[in-house]
Amino acid sequence: MHASLKTALFTLSWVPVFISVQQVCGQLIWIQGRSMQPSLNPDSSLGTRDLLLIQKYGLRRADSFSKGDVVILHSPIDPEKILVKRITALQNETVKPRSSSYPKKQLKIPPNHLWIEGDSIHSVDSNSFGPVSSGLVVGKARWIVYPFNRYGPIPSKSLDME
Amino acid sequence: MLKTASYAVRVGCCVHVFHRSIYEVTETSGESMMPTINYKDDYVHVNKFNKLGRRCQFGDIVVVAKPTDPSQRVCKRITGMPRDFVLIDPSDPHSHDMIQVPDGHIWVTGDNLSHSIDSRTYGPLPMALIKGRVVAASLGFSVRKV
Repeated sequence: MHASLKTALFTLSWVPVFISVQQVCGQLIWIQGRSMQPSLNPDSSLGTRDLLLIQKYGLRRADSFSKGDVVILHSPIDPEKILVKRITALQNETVKPRSSSYPKKQLKIPPNHLWIEGDSIHSVDSNSFGPVSSGLVVGKARWIVYPFNRYGPIPSKSLDME
Repeated sequence: MLKTASYAVRVGCCVHVFHRSIYEVTETSGESMMPTINYKDDYVHVNKFNKLGRRCQFGDIVVVAKPTDPSQRVCKRITGMPRDFVLIDPSDPHSHDMIQVPDGHIWVTGDNLSHSIDSRTYGPLPMALIKGRVVAASLGFSVRKV
């Protein structure tokens, strides 16, 4: 009895360490939805979802992001929702929104903001809600872990167009 | 030696998780929330269960990451909830420009309107940038509700 209590307490004491590593270093996340097709979740009919390794450290500064990076972020229109999108323009750049419903024809991205788009056309992204603060970014997608036949780095968008 | 290091890691991570998700007391500086929060030496008690704007209401003081520089944290009062219509600059008697706060956003202003950079400058703020709600402030050992 005494020994099992000790084991339980020992295991419990490592739980915060596990949570901290997930919050600060990296985390595995299942991808839902088809907004990043064909880079992620390429075939929804297979019934499998992609499992990604997410980098959580070193994202404080604006220059830690570059064009083409796939990021995980909180939706600006619903804080409880998590989005996966690709960065298509960085701070201080000028962009022309793709959608005609966006109020401006052309705009300059404010400092520490990003312009994010899904790879697929079925995507709610910066074309509807505008540039997002980099403070909303939770992490950067680095590696596809599962399914094993797709194990490897995140495909870049230009590669898929070839 | 190894045992001490292991203890230190576990205690450190415990404190980190507690500060991030439950409760935190931090020092503040800056005059934007005068007279509610002093410009220096004041500590704020932050309830982290209210992060992402959970159960936040009009009039609450929140700790948010500044949208134009997320490494900075600022303390502001919520003066507009989603879909509310707000007057952009009440300190200017000639301005009557109104804005509707979008879904998932809030309008925040400092209590000291003349010395505050807030939604009047950077617009509505996404609720996901809310880190917690200020429940009390303390100067020295005297704690007061805010």
